[in-house]
Amino acid sequence: MTKLDQEPIAPPLFTSRGEPAEVHPVLNVLVGLLLSVVLIPFIYLLIRAFEKPLPGIVELLFRGKTLEVLATTAVLLIIVVAVNIFLGTLISAGLHFVQVPKAHLLIVASVLPLAIPSYVFTYTWLALLPSLSGVLAAAFVLILTTLPYMFLAILVSLRRIDNGFIEVARTLGQSRRQIFFRVILPQIRGSISAGALLSGLYVLSDFGAVSLLNVETLTVSIQNMFKSSYDRSAASVISLVLILASVVFIAADERIKDKKAKENVFKRRYTQESRISSLRLKSFVLVLVGMYTSLAVIVPFYVLISRFISNPNPIDVSGLITASVSTISVSALGAVIALVFSAPLGFLIATHAGRFSRFSERIILIGHALPGVVIGLALVSLGSKLGPIYQSVFLLAFAYALLFLAKAVASMTFSLQLVPSVLKEVAATLGKSKAKISTSVVFPIALPSIGLGTLLVFLTAMKELPATLMLRPTGMDTLATQIWSYASINRFNDAAPYALLLVLIAAVPTFLLSMPRAESSSNSAQNESKVGSIA
Amino acid sequence: MTSLDVSHLTVAFGDRTVIDDLSFNLKEGEISSLLGPSGCGKTTLLRVIAGLLQPREGTIRFGSQLVGLSSVVLPPNKRRTGYVPQQGALFPHLNVAKNIAFGLDKKEFSADQIKKTVSDMLALIGMSGFENQMPTELSGGQQTRVALARALAVKPKLVLLDEPFSALDAELRNELRSDVVALLRSQGTTAILVTHDREEALVSSDKVVLMRDGKIAQYGSPEEVYESPISPSVAASTGDALILNAQQSADGSTTYAISSNGSASQNSMNSNGYVVIRPEEIMVSKSSSNGVNGTLIQLDYYGHDAMLVVKLAESSEIIRARVAGPMDFEVGDKVSVEHRGPIRFFANS
Repeated sequence: MTKLDQEPIAPPLFTSRGEPAEVHPVLNVLVGLLLSVVLIPFIYLLIRAFEKPLPGIVELLFRGKTLEVLATTAVLLIIVVAVNIFLGTLISAGLHFVQVPKAHLLIVASVLPLAIPSYVFTYTWLALLPSLSGVLAAAFVLILTTLPYMFLAILVSLRRIDNGFIEVARTLGQSRRQIFFRVILPQIRGSISAGALLSGLYVLSDFGAVSLLNVETLTVSIQNMFKSSYDRSAASVISLVLILASVVFIAADERIKDKKAKENVFKRRYTQESRISSLRLKSFVLVLVGMYTSLAVIVPFYVLISRFISNPNPIDVSGLITASVSTISVSALGAVIALVFSAPLGFLIATHAGRFSRFSERIILIGHALPGVVIGLALVSLGSKLGPIYQSVFLLAFAYALLFLAKAVASMTFSLQLVPSVLKEVAATLGKSKAKISTSVVFPIALPSIGLGTLLVFLTAMKELPATLMLRPTGMDTLATQIWSYASINRFNDAAPYALLLVLIAAVPTFLLSMPRAESSSNSAQNESKVGSIA
Repeated sequence: MTSLDVSHLTVAFGDRTVIDDLSFNLKEGEISSLLGPSGCGKTTLLRVIAGLLQPREGTIRFGSQLVGLSSVVLPPNKRRTGYVPQQGALFPHLNVAKNIAFGLDKKEFSADQIKKTVSDMLALIGMSGFENQMPTELSGGQQTRVALARALAVKPKLVLLDEPFSALDAELRNELRSDVVALLRSQGTTAILVTHDREEALVSSDKVVLMRDGKIAQYGSPEEVYESPISPSVAASTGDALILNAQQSADGSTTYAISSNGSASQNSMNSNGYVVIRPEEIMVSKSSSNGVNGTLIQLDYYGHDAMLVVKLAESSEIIRARVAGPMDFEVGDKVSVEHRGPIRFFANS
């Protein structure tokens, strides 16, 4: 039987996902409108790119410089993702399967680097080792930045594995090594792929780290073209190459995605007693995690604090306050726009299993592939046609919303799916209309999680650099742009207060979210997966 | 409360027919059980009655009101059924009082009326004082009770219970079941209980709807479906059943391995059907010589009763008999087996 055949022909009032099967026409129109808004930058880039005559495009694509940039990007991407897969698997398996003392604190410590954007990492390491530059240095910094995405993704799925499988495999005479490769690995393949996607997209879209370390990747190349020659068409062509690279990456992950098995509610938890207590393995895990946290947490904080303290110049308090206020207001505006956009999209995806819903999901995923540089370029190019919005905080906030829409929608969908359909059914039998069910059951349950998602989009927007550089109104400084402008001329002492403030603001929620909860490990696993997918 | 009439109901998912031309009715205040193996369509039937699924054909009436028809359907929120799903499905964000008051329209009832209903319901389920507890603070049995109170608070026309006790352990399950049934009876509620537990179906209902592959296999009072099954397979689905080859002669007398008119040896018998015997209808004795001789080959001791497995000497037929209370049998005993009960003969088709 094909998949289509299994869907009821008699239109049911509730689909298997528990919502009215027919999409309300207003929702359809709304989603259609939003999707076209999301696609505007992309379409505009296409138009700009093909303003160039075809031979010109071909020449641009195959000239030595472009190939060199492509090769650099690919090498960087491969190194970072490969090392991440290896270290991420080791760390997460170590923290999960080995009896490490204070494992939850180690997890919190290893997650903290998520609060530090790549350009702050680079700047702290440059302050320590001024000669740092090149692809390997960039790879080093980007591994420090993105490793938590990988190990969080794996850790969450390790926790979901039914310990019953492991016990059965043990009784069937399998060694621990065999169990890892034959039982565990097949079940975490999808999360490894998801972690690879998150860290890979980070590398592809990163601008700050590579730029400070003089590595010319696609993003740097686009920014250079944009700045120097104003050859927008050439920049658009390269942007499309960058988008294509991201799309290929996303498509690869889609293929590997785990088939979601129904979670067994009676599954056996992996308890402290069943963890491996070998001293050798314990010390190995401790050394590994210790090394990572020293390089990714202790060193950056040490540099930031010591630079902050040793700064002989008085701190520009008013500058700091102005930058904080503009950072917070424009990021908050962006998060609110993303929230408003994500509501109909998330509602459609979470509750309607249909062709249009799947199509929307794909389109939004493409949004995931648009790096800040590309959105910045598209909106700047569009700028002259946008009238008064151009050069205003609204355009920047809109850029943030577009950039993080995929995250906002993922969070919205996840939150709405927290509500089991049986609750909606019970509410219906108790006389509630569909609208009333939404207000009295769905949103009250989903609201905390939606709020959390919005908060995380807000925090991510605060750290965004390239789009901010390109789209900020003249004269407006944010924390990110201030760090950038001081760090790029090696005034590390002056950058320190801004960086410290940014990192501290971002660290608080990261810290709180990664704290394990006593009452429910699945809850904290969910939180961690949220940190992983949204931070 | 109202009567229920389901007529020629067909439900299909694509090519797969889940409920096939099914009809039955319930009188006002009757409690019925939908009994059947998983996948037989009993939960689907319940959901169609609640309005959560739409039938392809057929009609559903609550009293004289037509609520479901293949083309016109009253939505679930207009039907006033009290739906109690598995494990209760209490709203996790609301406390017990708010859960119970959930279906009470604030425009229709004053705050005082709602408060009174809630405390009446809590008293009814024996949980007064639990108003401000959150669902996560309740035990499984308490959650089921509150879910029932929530359903009853709106004075439903019909209460629909979808395996509400399945997640509970045996002892609590029996206790809660008898409480819930007593409560439904005291309210004069028309109710449907979906279950795959045959004892639960027999003990709690006025009517048992025995379902098999989307159809009704048999429908009647618990005594009817248990004592007078319409086929050997129906007999097996309401309780343990011993099915023996039998021969019915033209004068109506039936001969089988332990028949009282002299056991026919298997070889001489020209079997033309089956008899169905309940294990408790078989008497096993060490002293008597009225019955058919055999040897006790297995003894399953359950405490309140025991299942004896006897191999007959002559026919080698295996007989399972239930004996109550204290007993002094041992495997290997020579025993005599006798059938004292109705002879249910089913001719070969």
